[in-house]
Amino acid sequence: MAFRLDYVAKETGRNLVRNPSLTIATVLTVAVSLTLLGAAMLIRVGVAGLNDRFRDDVEFIVWVDPDVTPEHLALIVDTLDSSANISDSRYVAREEVYAEFQQYYRESPTVLELVNPDEVPTYFEVVPIEPDLAVVQALGKEYEKLPGVFKVQYAAEYIKKLNDFTRLASRVMMIAALFSAGASTMLMYNTIRTAMYARRREIEVMRLVGATNWFIRLPFMIEGMIQGAIGAGFSVIAVLLLNRGIGKQLNKNELKLLASFDLNQSDLLSISGWLLLAGAMIGFLSAGIAVTRYLDA
Amino acid sequence: MIKLEDVTKEYPGETIALRNADADIGKGEFVFLIGPSGSGKSTFLRLLNKQELPDTGRIFVAGKDIGKMSRRDVPKLRRNIGAVFQDFKLLSNKTVGENVSFALEVIGRPRHVISTQVPAILELVGLGEMSHKYPHQLSGGEQQRVSIARAFVNRPLILLADEPTGNLDPQTAIGIMRLLDRINKTGTTVLMATHDRGIVDTMRRRVIELADGHIVRDQSRGVYE
Repeated sequence: MAFRLDYVAKETGRNLVRNPSLTIATVLTVAVSLTLLGAAMLIRVGVAGLNDRFRDDVEFIVWVDPDVTPEHLALIVDTLDSSANISDSRYVAREEVYAEFQQYYRESPTVLELVNPDEVPTYFEVVPIEPDLAVVQALGKEYEKLPGVFKVQYAAEYIKKLNDFTRLASRVMMIAALFSAGASTMLMYNTIRTAMYARRREIEVMRLVGATNWFIRLPFMIEGMIQGAIGAGFSVIAVLLLNRGIGKQLNKNELKLLASFDLNQSDLLSISGWLLLAGAMIGFLSAGIAVTRYLDA
Repeated sequence: MIKLEDVTKEYPGETIALRNADADIGKGEFVFLIGPSGSGKSTFLRLLNKQELPDTGRIFVAGKDIGKMSRRDVPKLRRNIGAVFQDFKLLSNKTVGENVSFALEVIGRPRHVISTQVPAILELVGLGEMSHKYPHQLSGGEQQRVSIARAFVNRPLILLADEPTGNLDPQTAIGIMRLLDRINKTGTTVLMATHDRGIVDTMRRRVIELADGHIVRDQSRGVYE
C-alpha cells in the first residue's frame, strides 16, 4: 500500500487546526495526566536512590553533650570502637559542626548570632554492620545510656517514615495519573470522532472509490499521536521544572539525606522518554480505536 | 460481469429490499433498473460494491464471489466499480480538479498518473475549462459530470449510477445520458437505477424491473411501461 507522505501530512495538518478548542483541551488533559505520572516517577526514582544511599550511609547519630568530660568522650569512643556491631564510626568535631550549622542557617544571621561556637554539640556518625532498623534501634538504646550522650538519632527511622510517605504519595499520584489518563483517552477518542464526523463526506467518498481502511485511518491516528506527544511535551517541561524546584529546595536546606531526590540527567532523560512515548501511544491508540469503530459501524 | 444468485436482503423492521433475486449481466451491457421508490433498486446497486451485505444468496462480480471476499479486498473491488449518485457527493471545499484527483490520491496513485489522467477525464466529460472552479459555482448537470468523471477516472469495469438524473431537468439529463452512453461504449458495464420513463423509453436498453423486492421483468431493449 503506497502512502503518499504529502497527502498524509496535509490531511493531518488540516485535522489538527480544524477544531482548535478541542485540540487544546485534549493536549492539556494529556499534559496534566502525564505530569502526574511523571511526578510519581520522579518520586519513585528518588525513593530508590534514597534506599541505595540508606544502605551505605550514616545509620544513626550519637549526639554528645556540649559540656561532656574528656573521660566520658573517651568512653564513648571506646564503646563504639570495641562494639562488634559497628562497622564504622566518625567523630564530628565542634568546628565542623559549626561550619555545617553556619551553612544550614546561612540565610538566618539572627539564629547564627544566638549560637556560641563553643556550645555547639558534637556528634558521632555511626554505621552499624546490620542495617536492620530493629537492630539499629537496640544499639542506639544502649548508647543512649552512656554518660555524656545527649541523644541518639536514627537515620533509619527517619528514612523509613519518609519512605512510607513517599511511597504513598507516589501511589496516590499513580492512581490519579491513571484516572486522568483515562479521561484524556476518552477526550482524545471524542476529538478524533468529531474530526471524523467533520470529514464524513470525504470518508464516504474515500470508501466508495476504494481507499483502504488504513489509508483513511492513518491521518487521524497521526493526528492523535501528535496531540498526545504535544501534551507529553508539556508534561516533560512541567516535570523538569518540578525537579529543578525540588533540587533548589534541597540545596537550600542542605538536606543531604534527600539528595537522591535531585535526579541526575539520565534518570530525567528516561522519565521524559517514557512520558513522550506514553503520550504518543495514548493518542495513537485511542484515535485508532475511534477510527476503527467509525469505519466498522 | 455481474451475477446474482437467489439474493435476499432484508432490513431491520422487516422491510424486504430484495427477494430471491437472480440476474446475469454481461460485460459491456447497459442496464436500467426501474421500479417505484422502495422497490429495491438502490439496494441492488449497494450490494454490488459491498456497501450492503446480502442475507442469503451469492453475488459474483467479474467472476469472483464477493461474499467470500475478505474485508481487506473490498477496496480492490470498489476500485473496479465506479459509483454516481443523485446528490453527486462532491466535496464542496475542493475544486473540480481536486475532487477528481482525490479519487486517485486516496488509492495511492502516483502524482504523474494523476496529473495526466485528471485533465483527460475532465476533457471527456466536457469540463476541460472548469478544473479550478468549486462545485457551488457549477450547474447541477456540470456537478453530475464532475461526479461521473470522479467515478470513471480510474477506468472501472463497472459503473453504478443511482438516479443520476433525478435532480436534473430533462434537457440536462439527456446530456448526462449521452455521457453514460459514451462511457458504456468504452466497454464499461453500466447499471443505472432510475424512474425516468422518458430516458428509458428513448434509450431502449435492457430493463430490469423491481417491485417490492422482486424482479418482475428482465427484458432486453425494454421500455418503462
